[in-house]
Amino acid sequence: MPTPPKVKLIDRVTAINWNKVEDEVDQDVWDRLTGNFWLPEKVPMHIDLPSWATLNEAEQTMTVRVFAGLTLLDTIQGTVGAVSLIPDCITPHEEAVMTNISFMESVHAKSYSNIFTTLCSTKAIDDAFDWSEDNEYLQKKAHIVLDYYRGDDPLMRKVASTMLESFLFYSGFYAPMYWSSRGKLTSTADMIRLIIRDEAVHGYYIGYKFQKGLEQVSSQRHAEIVGYAYDLLSDLYANEVQYTRSLYDPLGLTDDVTKFLKYNGNKALMNLGLDALFPRDEATPNPAILAALDPGAAENHDFFSGSGSSYVMGAHAAKPTTDEDWDF
Amino acid sequence: MTVDYDTSDLTPSASPMEVQMDYHALNAMLNLYAPDGKIQFDADRQAVRQYFLQHVNPNTVFFHTLHEKLGYLVDNGYYEAEVLAQYSEEFIKSLFKAAYAHKHRFSTFLGAFKYYTSYTLKTFDGKRYLERFEDRVCMVALGLAGGDEAMARDLVEEIITGRFQPATPTFLNVGKKQRGEFTSCFLLRVEDSMESIARGINSALQLSKRGGGVALLLTNLREQGAPIKHIQNQASGVIPVMKLLEDSFSYANQLGARQGAGAVYLNAHHPDILRFLDTKRENADEKIRIKTLSMGVVIPDITFELAKTNQPMHLFSPYDVERVYGVPFADISVTEKYDEMVADDRITKTTISARDFFQTLAEIQFESGYPYILFEDTANRANPLAGRITHSNLCSEILQVSTPSRLNPDLTYAEVGRDISCNLGSLNIALTMDSPDFARTIDTAVRALTAVSDTSDIDAVPTVRRGNELSHAIGLGQMNLAGYLAREHIYYGSPDALDFTSVYFAAVAFHAISASNRLAIERGTTFDGFADSTYASGAYFDKYTARDWLPTTDTVRALFTKAGITVPTRADWAALKASVMEHGIYNAYLQAVPPTGSISYINHSTASIHPIVSKIEIRKEGKLGRVYYPAAFMDNDNLAYYQDAYEVGYEKIIDTYAAATEHVDQGLSLTLFFPADVTTRDVNKAQIYAWRKGIKSLYYIRLRQMALEGTAVEGCVSCAL
Repeated sequence: MPTPPKVKLIDRVTAINWNKVEDEVDQDVWDRLTGNFWLPEKVPMHIDLPSWATLNEAEQTMTVRVFAGLTLLDTIQGTVGAVSLIPDCITPHEEAVMTNISFMESVHAKSYSNIFTTLCSTKAIDDAFDWSEDNEYLQKKAHIVLDYYRGDDPLMRKVASTMLESFLFYSGFYAPMYWSSRGKLTSTADMIRLIIRDEAVHGYYIGYKFQKGLEQVSSQRHAEIVGYAYDLLSDLYANEVQYTRSLYDPLGLTDDVTKFLKYNGNKALMNLGLDALFPRDEATPNPAILAALDPGAAENHDFFSGSGSSYVMGAHAAKPTTDEDWDF
Repeated sequence: MTVDYDTSDLTPSASPMEVQMDYHALNAMLNLYAPDGKIQFDADRQAVRQYFLQHVNPNTVFFHTLHEKLGYLVDNGYYEAEVLAQYSEEFIKSLFKAAYAHKHRFSTFLGAFKYYTSYTLKTFDGKRYLERFEDRVCMVALGLAGGDEAMARDLVEEIITGRFQPATPTFLNVGKKQRGEFTSCFLLRVEDSMESIARGINSALQLSKRGGGVALLLTNLREQGAPIKHIQNQASGVIPVMKLLEDSFSYANQLGARQGAGAVYLNAHHPDILRFLDTKRENADEKIRIKTLSMGVVIPDITFELAKTNQPMHLFSPYDVERVYGVPFADISVTEKYDEMVADDRITKTTISARDFFQTLAEIQFESGYPYILFEDTANRANPLAGRITHSNLCSEILQVSTPSRLNPDLTYAEVGRDISCNLGSLNIALTMDSPDFARTIDTAVRALTAVSDTSDIDAVPTVRRGNELSHAIGLGQMNLAGYLAREHIYYGSPDALDFTSVYFAAVAFHAISASNRLAIERGTTFDGFADSTYASGAYFDKYTARDWLPTTDTVRALFTKAGITVPTRADWAALKASVMEHGIYNAYLQAVPPTGSISYINHSTASIHPIVSKIEIRKEGKLGRVYYPAAFMDNDNLAYYQDAYEVGYEKIIDTYAAATEHVDQGLSLTLFFPADVTTRDVNKAQIYAWRKGIKSLYYIRLRQMALEGTAVEGCVSCAL
């Protein structure tokens, strides 16, 4: 049996010089991502226990399954997806950003566990994970994306990654946004909004790098890739509708989620620099969900329920005062 | 009498398409621009209407008459029979009738949603509503007036018109049979002993159970590594105590109405100060991370002086300080004794760089919004009473003196010290300016808050009961300054705005002191300690008799003339001074300006005297979820006057608060707002500016991180800049 090749991510050994940044977007995104660093332990999950108890069985089942599905996607993205993009990186700074993305995806995967363990019994968690392994639509989308990650086309890897970051997560994100707009599971929503805050930047960044890469190829290849991208979204969308039905049909929310899917499908294309696929009037989600989606942090929360998603790393902003500041 | 439950005239009629939409979606449309680029205020009004039609009306228990309703509520243990028994049935009927005649309607979805979610009386299963807004107002008035019909009428008038709004614990609880206490805020001292820590935790549990936030002073606790029974390196310091308190607060909540909320304060010169701050670090270990406990740092003037000359700051062991001076660490002025303590070999000390301390403080604020800051010496200089202010409360606006207790080993009191409580309620500045009788509005508010103090009797915490009995302290607050200024086409923080703030707050102080003076005359008694206060010496009034506090700009002169309000002159102040020196005042403390979260939503005000946080505010709370709220008096034509706090900048906010602070005996909750791309240096500069301007305390630091270009939701009001 042949030994597998040793992992070879880069073929040069050059120290990364942050004083010479070739693409300013790398620096901007690095600053934003490191400034946004967070760990799931910061969110006081126990606050959600009383409202969790008010959900009926179908609602609880849907919610746990949603998180099982999201855990699976973030596991892919953290251990395979973002890592597979590293060898394609053009600049060392891009590699650094990708390693950050990869790490944060693992943080996200872990954060769902914090939600689970606070709210559910071990049995319920195990059932949900069993469900995620048995759900054909979830498995199918995982395989579609994994195939691209393992394939040999760097541009299509980025397309798949953007689809995951900007489109596939959102069928799951719908649930916590829905609950929080109804005054339930608001700490969970805080956690998810921290994740959305990250995913919004990830999708944007990988999409941006895709566009940079697309500029380098021939016009024939260009058209080919764009065609693949639309085909991929169409395939994923068809599967996603089935996945959505399997989750949300029991609660009668599927129509609403579907509009949200189209909205995010268009958003993913936008991140790739491509035109929308779904007509605007079909892709207009419920305002309560859309308004909850904004990754900015203008939220005015009562601080007694935790610090929300507005704060950033302090060391990032550290700057000593000078004598003139103290001139009083 | 038949009570009017008709809601058909709540709002303009809806188009058929909109009727289909659920109220959460309609409310969320506020945060999304219409295709013509306008803010969809009408969608929010439709949301209110749909909320009533789809949810409130079908879930409200119907009664044919008031008689039937009150009888049912008393018989079934919902209303306190004693409250109603103080009045004739005829009077009660006329009072409800007067309240309903105002045709109160909620003007925002959040106002209605908040009221029905958190305030109104519900059936015991929590599923159906038993009160409308008018009913709550009447019950609060009947309860606080204590049988005085004229006062009950005045109170209904002031509350239903929106001029005066009692704080949440009062407005939520009065008149209900199953209820918590009416008091908003409690401040407790903890001394350097296991008994005191245990008492502190017990008191925190007891007070959280009854309502209101609790703040505890930790400055007196010996530091980590301090000796116990003379054996070195034994004490665990303040962090484990914070952990115990945090868990206690999470455990106790008021019948599930509100998450127990607590704060702790520590002096900047306490040896545990950096460990204290690190509990809010993003990467703090789980064993020391503090998530839901709020915290504040007490900073004396000397710390600023040390930072100015870039010197190290000494941290002093409270254990040693108490042994050297014979009083707890918090009861000495660090500024005054600093050099003496540095030179004293008996006091163990360590040093950190003063500037590094301020920078670390700002770093933690970036990550968590905490800590609050109490400028200890500023607060004490402005304190009219003898004694020391050692800490503040959960919202950093309560500033009163306290004294320590001594405890026996079985936790009984050898000496009951004096702890602090405060009864709050706020005036809507815009509507108070519109009041037909400005002085009477303030008089009624002061009497209502005093009634809360008079009826409050917290047996479970003897130090709080004693403090309240001695002081009758109240905190009259203010809200809707930004809304008022915008309505009058004045920019927040402009010279006109500062002039208005100064004149308005001086006038409120005048009428509040007058009201308390009348109470002292009527009751023939003052607060305990009046004789040693600057009210008794007359020194309090010096600044009002030495110069005028009248409008200096034409704009503001015109505002008061238009409102028909006569601003007190030096002669008025001199007459008040004479009366106060002769008869005293009833309340040890009169004013405190709280942040007014919930009550400003019900009242449709802008919060406190802050600028707005956003034209459309995104409000998230545990019980409400995410809801959208339009600023008071805002429409698509006057948007320019609604600059948000991030646009306004810290200097104008601090200037506004400085103008008000001049006339407020306690404190004002002052939040500072920064875009996320500022540095810790900018935050430090704002803190230095606030301290120089005579601000007594700072509340949260809030950061707004704008979405990276390309990641925002298109057409979203709150994320557009």
